[in-house]
Amino acid sequence: MTEKHDLKKPLEQFAFFMDILGHDILNNNQAVLGYLELILAEPGFEKKVRKYAEKAVPHIRTSTLLVENIKKVLATRDIEPSSLKPIDLMGPVSRAPKNLERFFPDKTIKVSVNSKVEKAWVMGNSAVNDLVDNTLVDTVKLDPGRSVGITIKLTEHECGGYMCWSVRIENPNAALPPIVRDREIESIYREDSSTAVRVVGMLFAKMITSNMGGDFNAKELRSSGEKRGVVFTITLRKADGK
Amino acid sequence: MTSVLIVDDELFIVELYRDILQLRGYRVTGTAFDGEEALKKYTASTDKPDVIIMDHRMPVMNGVDATKEIMKLNPSQKVIFVSADVLVEKEARDAGAVDFLPKPFRMDDLVEKMERIASLR
Repeated sequence: MTEKHDLKKPLEQFAFFMDILGHDILNNNQAVLGYLELILAEPGFEKKVRKYAEKAVPHIRTSTLLVENIKKVLATRDIEPSSLKPIDLMGPVSRAPKNLERFFPDKTIKVSVNSKVEKAWVMGNSAVNDLVDNTLVDTVKLDPGRSVGITIKLTEHECGGYMCWSVRIENPNAALPPIVRDREIESIYREDSSTAVRVVGMLFAKMITSNMGGDFNAKELRSSGEKRGVVFTITLRKADGK
Repeated sequence: MTSVLIVDDELFIVELYRDILQLRGYRVTGTAFDGEEALKKYTASTDKPDVIIMDHRMPVMNGVDATKEIMKLNPSQKVIFVSADVLVEKEARDAGAVDFLPKPFRMDDLVEKMERIASLR
C-alpha cells in the first residue's frame, strides 16, 4: 500500500490494524462464499442441507458490510473544513445500480433517478461517496422484498444561508426498524448504545454530514395517515463556483 | 480450453479459485503468491495464460505493479483484478486490467467475466 502511516498516533495505529484485519476478513469471506457456492451447485445434496447453505450466504454480505462500515468510520478522521473539496453527488448516484447489485445479488433492484441534474457539486471528501452508497444499501436492507424499487431525487435549494444540494432516496416498501421510529437520530447516539448498533449506518450518515456542514434525515412516508415506506435525505453545502 | 494464471498471496484463496475454475473446465497453468513470482513465471512460461487473475495487496510486489510489468511484456494480456481494496480499481484499470472484482465476489461473476474475455479472443 502506498498510504503512509504515522504509527505514533493512537488513531493511526487503530486505522492501520483495522485496515489489515478488515482485509483478512474479506479474504476469509471470499473463501466461505466460494465454497458455499460449490455446495449449492452440487445436485446431490438434500433440500435441508441446501437451505442451511443458502441461509449462510446473506451473513457473509453482512460481515462484508460491517468491515466496509468500519473503513468508512475510519475515513471520517480526515474531515476538517480545510480538507473539503468539490465532489459530484451524481458520481455515487450513477454508480448505484451496479453497487447495489453487488451487495444484493439475490434481489432485483430498480433505481430511478427522478431529476435531470447532470452534476451536483458539494463540498466534501471521498466519504461523500461512501455516505450515498451506505444510505442506498440501508434503503434496500430495510425492504424485505426480493424486488426493490428506489427513487432518487436531487434538488438545489437554500439551507441556513447557504446554497445546498439534497439527495432524497425513497423506497415505498421499506420500513424503519420500530426502535428508531419517531426518534431523532442524535438522541439514539446520545442515549441508547444498544439501539445504536442496529442503526450504525444512519448514525454514520448523520456524523459525516454534520462534520461537512450538512444534514441527514430518515423519515417514514405517510399515505392517508398510514406510515409506509422510508425516505432518507442527505443535504450538503453546494461547492462555490460550481 | 481457456487457460488461467492465479496470483494471490493467500493459499486458501488460490486453492478456492483453482478448485472452482477446474470444475468449470478452465486450465490452470500456474499459481503465484506475489507479483514478482507471477512476473518471473509469466516471463519464463512458453504457455502464456489467456487470463491472469490478479490480487493487489501482496508481499514483494503488489498486483498493480505486477500488472504494469506484464503489460510491458505483452500489451494484449488479459488481466482480471480481484481485490478487497476497492479504492485501487482505477489504478488497476490504468495499469491495464480489463476488469475489476471487489472481494468477496460470487464465483459465477468471475466465470462470467472469464467467458466474456474468452469470447473476444
